[in-house]
Amino acid sequence: MKFLWALTALLLSSWRADATTGPKIITEPSEVSNQTSAVLSCNLTDTSLPIGGSYWTHNGKEIEESRSKASTHYTVFRLEKITYHSGGQYECVFETDPPLKTTIEVKTLPHVGAYKHSEHGNEQDKGMLTCVAHGHPLPTDWTWYKKEDGNATSISNGTERYEIRSTPYKTILSITNLSIEKDIGDYVCTGTNELGSNSDQIHLRVRSRLAALWPFLGIVAEVIILVTIIFIYEKRRKPDEVNDGSAPLKSNSTANHKDKNVRQRNSN
Amino acid sequence: MPPAAVTNLGYTPPDGGWGWAVVFGAFISIGFSYAFPKSLTIYFKEIQEYFSVSYSEIAWVSSVMLASMYAGGPVSSMLVNRYGSRPVVMVGGLMVSIAMVLASLGTTIIHLYLCVGVIGGFGLAFNLQPALTIIGTYFQVKRPLAIGLAMTGSPVVLSTLAPLNQFFFDSFGWRGSFLVLGAIVLNCCVAGALMRPVNKRVQVKPSDGSPRCEVAREAAAAGVSTPSADPPPEDGPTESKCPSYIYRYIDLSLFRHRGFLIYLVGSVVMFFGFFAPVVFLAPYAKHQGTDEYSAALLLSIFALADMFIRPVTGIIGSSKWVRPRIQYFFSFAVSYNGVCQLLCPLASGYEGLVVYAVFYGLAFGILSALLFEALMDLVGAHRFSSAVGLVTIIECGPVLLGPPISGALVDAFGDYRYMYYVCGMFLLAPGVFLFIMHYYNYKKLDEEQRQSLSLEIRASEEALKLRINQEVETMKCKYELEAAD
Repeated sequence: MKFLWALTALLLSSWRADATTGPKIITEPSEVSNQTSAVLSCNLTDTSLPIGGSYWTHNGKEIEESRSKASTHYTVFRLEKITYHSGGQYECVFETDPPLKTTIEVKTLPHVGAYKHSEHGNEQDKGMLTCVAHGHPLPTDWTWYKKEDGNATSISNGTERYEIRSTPYKTILSITNLSIEKDIGDYVCTGTNELGSNSDQIHLRVRSRLAALWPFLGIVAEVIILVTIIFIYEKRRKPDEVNDGSAPLKSNSTANHKDKNVRQRNSN
Repeated sequence: MPPAAVTNLGYTPPDGGWGWAVVFGAFISIGFSYAFPKSLTIYFKEIQEYFSVSYSEIAWVSSVMLASMYAGGPVSSMLVNRYGSRPVVMVGGLMVSIAMVLASLGTTIIHLYLCVGVIGGFGLAFNLQPALTIIGTYFQVKRPLAIGLAMTGSPVVLSTLAPLNQFFFDSFGWRGSFLVLGAIVLNCCVAGALMRPVNKRVQVKPSDGSPRCEVAREAAAAGVSTPSADPPPEDGPTESKCPSYIYRYIDLSLFRHRGFLIYLVGSVVMFFGFFAPVVFLAPYAKHQGTDEYSAALLLSIFALADMFIRPVTGIIGSSKWVRPRIQYFFSFAVSYNGVCQLLCPLASGYEGLVVYAVFYGLAFGILSALLFEALMDLVGAHRFSSAVGLVTIIECGPVLLGPPISGALVDAFGDYRYMYYVCGMFLLAPGVFLFIMHYYNYKKLDEEQRQSLSLEIRASEEALKLRINQEVETMKCKYELEAAD
């Protein structure tokens, strides 16, 4: 009985020991930072395990071209050109039972882009400038500058009429009570992560409150002129039409006049 | 021959001349009435962000505007019956203009509901009805052509306003755009100025069957050609003969008119399924996998087909083969719409959708062009104003409920097919109903015409006999007198 217990304990401990000292995957490199291209490789240390195949995933989604049926313990994935699209978490997965995988992180500079490179605002209204970021890792810091005569003046949240709201994905600069003299110009948004920063520029145009007034007055004037022309034309034609209908014809009255003249001459 | 109800106008409509200027004015009025609410949707996204409201709250502006437009129908009819078309259209144009200017200064979404929705909607109602009514007074033989041309205003103005609105939005923002749109809509006043009341030189004769009140109303509505606003002398004595004072404003006896009831039943059912497929054309295309740009292109194809077929429908309707039996053409149009919708789910791929868009555009255009001509043909031009007011307020329900019900069907089944089947049935059933009822109606009308014709012949025969007898009597008296001398 005691012998049986000892044997079970030995087997269990060796099992657990196997779990802690299980097959390891060696990654080369362990992390990619600020490189234009890279070769990711995974090497499974325990060559005795049966492997059905292998593939790579990017941010949880399987990369189609990386799937291989070969039962090699070594798999490679090439990143020819690293852009902000390529950044993220890469996983090499070996199809063993259970599947074994490790993660390699690829870090790039953030890509910063403006929603619209030319923004419009109305005078005395509120204007909003927005920048968004893509890539991995996302910016931890956002800053805004206003370009004035070649100098960049920093804009901080809460000063003057400015308000900055930022999340890792996007940043919004709001300017209240826009003025034509003070607020027209170029604004630069900069997003910074652990590798560095990138920025983009937005041009803000402020429309005068009266900008729409001129076309309005022009069209109203055109309408008044047309209506007047139509009514005048109608009044000019009306006397002709009335005569045709009810009044006696002119020729009769001239005949009367003639008679009258004759009578008058006679009377004279 | 057109049915008897139509010819008793008491004068001959010019069928041309200044009438074409009136058609142009109606083109503009009708165009703004239908296209203006649809074109405002471009601004909704920006306004939604500006006022921080949800999408359904901003969509209410459109619904309120449409509801006001339909509710304003009877009011518009009463005003046209009393004052004639021209003042009503000019006041309507002014109302929409003021509404847009006020809306551009608005500070909450409630302002937009009141200004654009209620006042704007009423103003547009004052444009639609009178424009149609006045065409009825100017045209008789070529009326379907005139109405077809006037209804073409809707797609043409929509195609012009859509890119123009986008341009204004980019240049001025939504407030500035509303201001400029207020000025543009003021052109409805120009259209109204063109709607000179028709010159009725021939003395108005009361016709057998129609009460004297109608004659008085007709004279007051059309407006005598004298510049002074004196009511015609018949007004005083005939008012006491009118059974009810309300007849001066709106003709409720239409509910006893057989043709009117047929039209009402048919159109109420039809409107449940009429507008919904337009609303869902682009979403259905996107659901089938086409991209946003191609889906928008489908709507443009639809609008082009619509624009092209409306004057053509007018020409066909005016031709001597179709004109006497135009109700059959109308019933055909309704049924054709129904068949189009029923066959839509069979369309596969983008090419199938393009074919569907073309056929649907043609169907929509033919039906729109004939919608009001059919009513005018049934009730006659002088009762048309009241008729269209009553029809619009009753149609208000189906028009507003149709798209949301279809949307609910799509959401419930997750598939667009059932919505198209239901819409198709809602169009095909009234189409068949109209065919049958109008066959029966035409037979009855022909019978009535024959009867009234024979009555007239008999009456004139008797009058002639009476005169002959009288003359014989007088001649006898003369001879007797001479013989006595």
